[in-house]
Order: sequence, then structure tokens, then C-alpha cells
Amino acid sequence: MSGTLTTPQTTPRAAPPGARRRRRMPLGKSFVAFILVAICALTIFPLVWLILTSLREQNTIFNGPVLPKQITFQAYPRAWTATNFGLHFANSVWITTVTVLGVLVFSTLAGYSFAKLRFPFKNLIYVILLSTLMMPATALIIPLYLELKKLGLLNSQAGLILLYVSGSAPFAMFLMRAFFETLPDELVQAARIDGAGEFTIFWRVILPLARPGIAVVVIFQFLATWNEFLYANTILQNTGALPLQPVLYSLMGQYQTDWPMLTAGLTMSIVPVILVYVWMQRQFVAGLTLGAVKN
Amino acid sequence: MATKNSLAKSSRVDRVRPARRGRRRAGSSWGRLYGAERIAGYTFLVPTVVFFAIFVGWPILYAIGLSFTNWNGFGPASFTGSASYVRMFNDPVARRAFVVTILFALSTTVLQTVIPLVAAVLVNFVWKALSVVVRTILFIPAIVSFVVSGVLWKLIYDPNIGTLNQALHTIGLGQFAQPWLSNPSTVLPSILVVSLWGAFGLNMLIFFAGIQGVDPTLYEVAQVDGASRVQQFFYITIPGLRIITAIVIALNLMNGFKVFDIIFVMTGGGPSHASDVFGTYLYTLAFGSTSGSIPQLGYASAFSVVVMVLCGLAVLFQVTLARRANR
Repeated sequence: MSGTLTTPQTTPRAAPPGARRRRRMPLGKSFVAFILVAICALTIFPLVWLILTSLREQNTIFNGPVLPKQITFQAYPRAWTATNFGLHFANSVWITTVTVLGVLVFSTLAGYSFAKLRFPFKNLIYVILLSTLMMPATALIIPLYLELKKLGLLNSQAGLILLYVSGSAPFAMFLMRAFFETLPDELVQAARIDGAGEFTIFWRVILPLARPGIAVVVIFQFLATWNEFLYANTILQNTGALPLQPVLYSLMGQYQTDWPMLTAGLTMSIVPVILVYVWMQRQFVAGLTLGAVKN
Repeated sequence: MATKNSLAKSSRVDRVRPARRGRRRAGSSWGRLYGAERIAGYTFLVPTVVFFAIFVGWPILYAIGLSFTNWNGFGPASFTGSASYVRMFNDPVARRAFVVTILFALSTTVLQTVIPLVAAVLVNFVWKALSVVVRTILFIPAIVSFVVSGVLWKLIYDPNIGTLNQALHTIGLGQFAQPWLSNPSTVLPSILVVSLWGAFGLNMLIFFAGIQGVDPTLYEVAQVDGASRVQQFFYITIPGLRIITAIVIALNLMNGFKVFDIIFVMTGGGPSHASDVFGTYLYTLAFGSTSGSIPQLGYASAFSVVVMVLCGLAVLFQVTLARRANR
């Protein structure tokens, strides 16, 4: 990579300003930087291509140059009306919002309980809840389908939301517990001595302090629910109730050759996610990496 | 509601308290509070536990039970013992799906661990401003759904007008152009690329976070001793990241075992089962995508059970590895 460093200077590894002065470093860094920029270009290319394709005129797809000569937004209104995008977008927003709220209620209550309250069998319950954290959706889809059918919840958004909330709550609870444990016990004890009830302590004392943890759970859950495909595609059959992902999937079959329209639909579906990512990037990354590392 | 409960039950609790650790002075007021705490503890868990039991716990048992029947979704189920598993063993498509699942999980695990690890070291090496930009960009694919990335890459791989084949023609490598997703020997590598594209950024960030936690004085000492960057990587960075690496490996294994969306969207398991994994095969068996065949719920559930076991093994692997690394 950068070759050997013979200078016995002790510069901390992550202190660039000082390092720049060293003789052999700039070259090594420039080389690595070049590699990284190339990797970034490769990574981002499919998405740039997606947007560019959606801006093409339909007849230039098959033989036009990589950069479209003329940009047209024609495909967007077409994709919007042909797919009934507004309706499915609203469905996605509704399902995601209710799921996030549900998961938030469940996970803050349970996470607080595990972090700050003492009661018998606490650890046993905790281990049981977490033991299935990595249960794949494909393994449960058949029994869940049959169960919802029996409960009369098949083909309803309520049924889908129930699956989302109950499946996601344990992991969110796990994150919230980790967060609540960073808050000092004295907060709870002081409130108790002041005579506050347990729910009041949770609601008035602890929850207002939990905003950073809540932000992580909200983002993690938003992303997972917005992008979920398997359950949505299986549980809901009534087209009007579908969220975006299954609709995008079926688009592929219907408009196989109308690439501008297909890519316009895909682009519109990732706009909210990208916006939220840009807006709350730090929490986003914290949420996903924490989520991965903590378990 | 917790407060109400605490008043009702407080008398019973004084009996329990002395058995607990004695770091608090015994006193009637504490006893009452502790009872309230216990009741609140359970009450707060009720929603999570109840829904978990109904929509996670019970379905697991249900799937295991179903796998011992030959139920087709209609009429009564009859118990057939281990027939589903025997049938799976003799079903060439199932055997193939098993091999593909394992192969897919192992190769994604290797690719999606080694490449992000090296990338994380490189990102940590360059100037801070660049590092921030690179991390932001590399993470973007992680927030795109598998449906979107599957469709997107399907267009790129399109045999006639796909960008990949067009690019190969443009740079004079036209002889390598081919129907990537309908050629049985290229379909899996093609999907692997998409999987790596999606997982790269997240895994890199996990490693990057891990590198920040490695004691910087170790690198200083190594530099004083004249260790090269490569030596530092192998003797400081890698040992320092062994817990993180175990986690990333286990995550990748689990994601590999349970892969569904991306294959379902891109190929549906085709061509002729070349990319069928357990997830897609059991879905086809249960919800029959093509032939309108009878749903084979009993047989498909046997696959669910195998997927569960595989993921359980990955979790076990992670726990043991993390425990050993902690010692």
C-alpha cells in the first residue's frame, strides 16, 4: 500500500494534518484515495444509471449513448398514473408509520423494564425474546399465513402491521434496553423517593431522556418496514392495499420494455429513503451499525 | 395502570423482598415500592411478550409441527412422521437448493467480510474529509430495498440491451457478453455481485467503527519498531477486530442462509432451479408461483425448519466465537 514507514516519528494513525508533512505519506494516501474514489464510482454507478435511464426518451433506451442527449421527465407522470403510485405510496407511509409507532411503544416499555426494573425470571424472558432475533422471515411465512387466515386477518393491512410489530419489537427492545442502561439508576430511585408511580417515572422521567435511542429505533424500523417485501407480497392480495415494494416487483413483469417508466417508478420509491438518509445520516448509520454489532 | 396495580398487590410483596439481595434497608415503604416495581416490570412486558408468543413463538412450533404432516392447505392434515425430510433428501431440486444455499452463504460471507475489512482500513487511512464522503457514498446501497436493487441490476444484466453487455461490446470484450441471469453458470456469481453491492457499505462501516476502537498506541509502538503497514494490518488491526469480525461473519452467514428477496426478484430461482435456494424453493412449494399446483405446506415447512436450524447454527457460531475472543 504505502510502503514501509522508516521514520520513527510517533504520529497517531488517525491524525492526518501532521502526517501530511511526512515525505512518503502523500503518495501513499493519494494512491489509496484514488482506489477509494474508484470504488465509490462503481458503487454509485447503478443508481446514477437508474436516474439517467428514467430521464431518457423511450426510443433512445436501446441504442442511445450512456449520457442521454435530451433529458425528459415524461416518464415520471406516466409511471405515477399507470402504477397508481400515489395510492401505494400512501399505503407504504401508513403501514410504516403505524409499525414504527407500535414498535416504539412496545420496545420502550419492554426495554425500560429490562434495563431498570427488577423482577423474577427477568433474564429468562429476555433470553427467550432474543433467541429468535435472527429467525428468517421465510421460515415463518407459511405458519403466519395460515394463522392470519384463521384469524381473518389475511389480506388486511392490520394483519401485516401486526406481523411487523411483533416480529420487530424484540430487536428494538434490545436496542432500547442498551440505551436505557446508559442512564443512571439514581434517576429512577430519586423519582421513586419523590413518590412517583412506576408508569409516571417511565413516562415523565426516562422517556424524555431517551430521544437519541428512540431516533435510532425509528430510523432502523422505518427502513426495515419501508423495504419489506416478502410478507407484504404474501399477506396482501388486494391490489389497492399493497405498499410500494410488491407493486414495484409486479411492475417488472408488466412494463418489461418501458425502461424509463420502470426506472422512474423505482427512483420515486427510493426518494423518501434517500431524503431521510441525507437528513439524519448520523443516526441512520448509528442505527444500522449498532443494530448489527450489538447482537 | 402500574400505580393502580401496585396498590392492589403491595401487601403480598413483603414476603418476597427479604429473599432478594440485602443492599437496601428493610422497610415497609421500600417493600411497597419493590412490589410496584415488580408489577410494573411485568406489565411493561405484556405487549411485547403477548405479540411475540402469538406471531413468533407459536408459528415456530406450528412450522415444526406442519413439517411432520403432508398437509396441502385443505381438509385434515395427516401425520406422516419424517416423510417430508426423507422426501427432501431424495428430491434432486431440494438437494441442489441445499448446495446452492450453502454455497451462496459461504461465498457471500467470504466476499462480504474480506473486502469490507480491507476497505475499512483504507478508508481509515485517507484524509478525514475524503473518508466522510466515501463512507456516505458506500453506505447508500444499504438503504435501497432488495426489490429496487434486484430490478435495477436485472436491467443492467439484461442480455440484449443491458448496460453490462453494452459496455463489454464498447470496450471490445464483446465475446464475454452473455445472458448473465439465464446462463446457469453465471447466474450465481451475478447475484453475488448484487449481494456484495448491497452489503459492502454496512459491513465496511461496522469494521470502520471497530478500527476506531483499536488502541492507537499499538500502531505507534509498531511504527517505532519499524513494522510496515501490511504487518500492522495483520498483527494489530486483524487481532484487534476479532470480535467484530466474528459478528460480521455470523451476520453474513445468517443473511446468506435466509436469502430470499434478491433471488426471488432477479431470477425466481431459475434458470431451471440453478439459483434456487431454500427460501425461494419453499416459497414456490407453498405458494406455487407458476404451475398453479397444490400448495405443499407440509413439505415446504420441512425447509422452514432446516433454514431455522442453519440460522441457529450461525448464531451459536457467533456466540462461541465471541465468547472465546473475549477471554
